Amino acid sequence: MWRDQLWWFRDARHYGIVIVLLLAVIGAFIAVPDFNTEENLGNVVTQSAALGVLAIGQTFVILCGLIDLSVGQLLGLIVVLSCDFAAGRPERFIAAVTMALGVGAASGAITGLLNNWLRIHPLILTFGLLSILQGVIFLYTDRSIGQAPPQFAWLANGRLAGVPAAALVLALLTATAHLVLTRTAVGRHICAVGGNEENARRAGINTHGVKLFTFVISGVSAGFAAVLVAGRLGTGFPNAGSGYELDAVVAVVLGGTSLAGGAGNVICTVAAAFVLGLISNTLNLLQISTFVQILVKGLIVIGAILVNQPTGEPS
Amino acid sequence: MTGALRITRSTITATIERSAIWIVLLALVLAGTMLSDAFLRPVYLGNVVRQLSPAGIAAIGVTFVMVLGGIDLSVGAVISFAAVICAVQMNGETGNIPWALGATLLAGAVVGLANGVLVAMSRASPFILTLGSSLAVYGLTQIYSGGTARGVITPEFRDFFNYRLGGMLPVLALTFLLTAVVGGLALRCSRYGRSLYLIGSNPRAARISGLPIARITLVTYSLSGLLAGFGGIALLARSGVSSTFSGRGLEFDVLAAVVLGGTTFEGGTGGVGGTVAGILVLFVAFNMANMAGLNYNAQLIIKGAIIVASSAAYNYLKRRE
Repeated sequence: MWRDQLWWFRDARHYGIVIVLLLAVIGAFIAVPDFNTEENLGNVVTQSAALGVLAIGQTFVILCGLIDLSVGQLLGLIVVLSCDFAAGRPERFIAAVTMALGVGAASGAITGLLNNWLRIHPLILTFGLLSILQGVIFLYTDRSIGQAPPQFAWLANGRLAGVPAAALVLALLTATAHLVLTRTAVGRHICAVGGNEENARRAGINTHGVKLFTFVISGVSAGFAAVLVAGRLGTGFPNAGSGYELDAVVAVVLGGTSLAGGAGNVICTVAAAFVLGLISNTLNLLQISTFVQILVKGLIVIGAILVNQPTGEPS
Repeated sequence: MTGALRITRSTITATIERSAIWIVLLALVLAGTMLSDAFLRPVYLGNVVRQLSPAGIAAIGVTFVMVLGGIDLSVGAVISFAAVICAVQMNGETGNIPWALGATLLAGAVVGLANGVLVAMSRASPFILTLGSSLAVYGLTQIYSGGTARGVITPEFRDFFNYRLGGMLPVLALTFLLTAVVGGLALRCSRYGRSLYLIGSNPRAARISGLPIARITLVTYSLSGLLAGFGGIALLARSGVSSTFSGRGLEFDVLAAVVLGGTTFEGGTGGVGGTVAGILVLFVAFNMANMAGLNYNAQLIIKGAIIVASSAAYNYLKRRE
C-alpha cells in the first residue's frame, strides 16, 4: 500500500508536465467557447505534432548532454528540397519521404562527426551549422518553390477513423523513441554519456558512437517534422523552419529533461510540445494580439520552468 | 610561495589561451590583405569596428555573465527593445537625447535585473530562463512599437556617433573600445571582477568564503542588460532605423564571439580581451566575404564556416601549446 503511494508520488513528479497538459485541456474546454470543435482540436494537433516530432530528436541530443540548434533550418531545407522534388506528384511520395529522412540523417551525421572531431561546444558548432544551412536554403531559392505531394497533406491534416493522422505519426514515433530510450542498450548508453561522459567511456561505452547516433536521430526527426510542415504549408517555403530549434529546446526543458543531460523522458517532451501548442491556440481563440502572445509565451516559459525545476540537479 | 607560483602559472596559461584567438585573427587579417589592398587602410578598419560595436558592446556584458558561469540569451531581444525605446523617446528632438539615452539604459538594466533575480532565486538553468525572458522582451518590443518601426531620431544623434575622429576612427568605434577597456580593467583588477572568477570556477568555495553570490549575480546580469541596452543605442546610431527585430539572433553571434575569445560555458576563465578578438574575427570574416563580392546568402555560409573553423583552430592551438 505504502509502496504504491510512493510509486505514484514519484511518477507524478516525473510526469508533472502531463498533469499540466491535462489541466490546460480541461481549462480550455471550460473557459474557451470555440475550443471544443472538431476543426479546432484538429488544428491544435497539427500545429503541435511537427514541434513534438522535432522535440523528440532534441530530447535524444539533450539527454546525451549536447544540444542541436541546426534542426530548425535543417527542417526548412528539407521542406524546400522535398517540395521542389515532389512537385505535387503523388507517385513521388515514397521517394520524397526517403529523401526527407535521408537528408536529415546525412546532415545529422555530419553534425555528429564534426562534434566528435572538432571538440567544439555543440551550441557553437550547431549555431555555425544553422547559419550555413540558412545560407544554403536561400542560395537554393529565395521564394516558395514546388508543391508537397498529396500524401504529405493527408499526413498533416487528414484523419484515419476520426483520429488526426499527424497524431498517429507522433504517437508512433513517441512510442518508438520511448522504447529505444528505456528498453535498449543504446538508450541507457545515451543517458550514461549525458550523466558523466568520462565514466561512460571508462565503462567501455563507445561515447563517440553514441553522440553520433543522437545527432543522426535529431536529423531524422527533423526529416519527419519537415514532412508534416510541408504537408501543412503545401509548398516549399524557405523560412518554414526558422525559430523551430528554440521551441524544440523549450519543449524538451519544459518536459523536465535537464540541459546538463543524463535524465529525461520523451513522453514529457511531447506533452510539453502540446502545452506550447495549446497555449498559442487558446490565445488565438481569445483573440489576443500576436504581440501579447509572444510576451505571454515568454512569461509562461519562465513560470513553468520555475515551477517544474529539476530537483536533483546541482545548480 | 606555492600560491604565488600557482598564480604565475595560471597567468601564463591564460596568456596562451588569449593569444590563440589573436593568432586566428592575425591569419584572417593576412588573408584579407592578400584579398584587397584596401583592407589595412585605417578608414576601412575603423569602419569594421564601427559595424561590430553594437554586438561588441553587448558581448562585453555577456563575457561578465559567462565568467560568472551563467549565460545571457536575452541580449538580442534587449538590443531590439533598446533601439525602439531610444528612437521613440527621442521623437526627433535634440533636447530629448539625454532623457532617451538614460531611459534606454535604465530599461536594459531592468531587464537584466529581472534575469538576475530569476537566476539567483531559482536553480533552473540560466540558458532556458534567459531564453524565456528574450521571448517576453520581444513581445514587449512589439507591443511598444505596434509592430512597425516607430520613433524619429535626430540627425545630430547619428552625426555624433558616426563622426570620424582624425578622419578615420568613428566615435561609435571609440565608444566600443573604451567600453572594452573599462570592462577589461573592471574584470581583471577590481574586487568585483575577481569575485566573478572565483564564483565561476568554484561556486561552493565562493559561498563558503562568504561572497554575496546572489548580489553579485544580480549586479552582473543587470550589467549585461545595461550593456545590451547600450548596444541597442549603438545599433540605432549605426543603422538609423528602429526596426523591432533589429537585434534578432544577435545573441548567438555574441555568444559565439565570447566563446571564441576563450570564455567557457563552465565559467571561471576568459576575459574581455579575448571577446574583443572573437568579435573581430567574426566581423573581419564577414567583411572579407563581402569584399570578395559574395551575396548575403553566401556570406551566411561563410559566417557559419568561420565560426566552426575558428573554434576548431582555436581548440587545436590551445591543445598544442
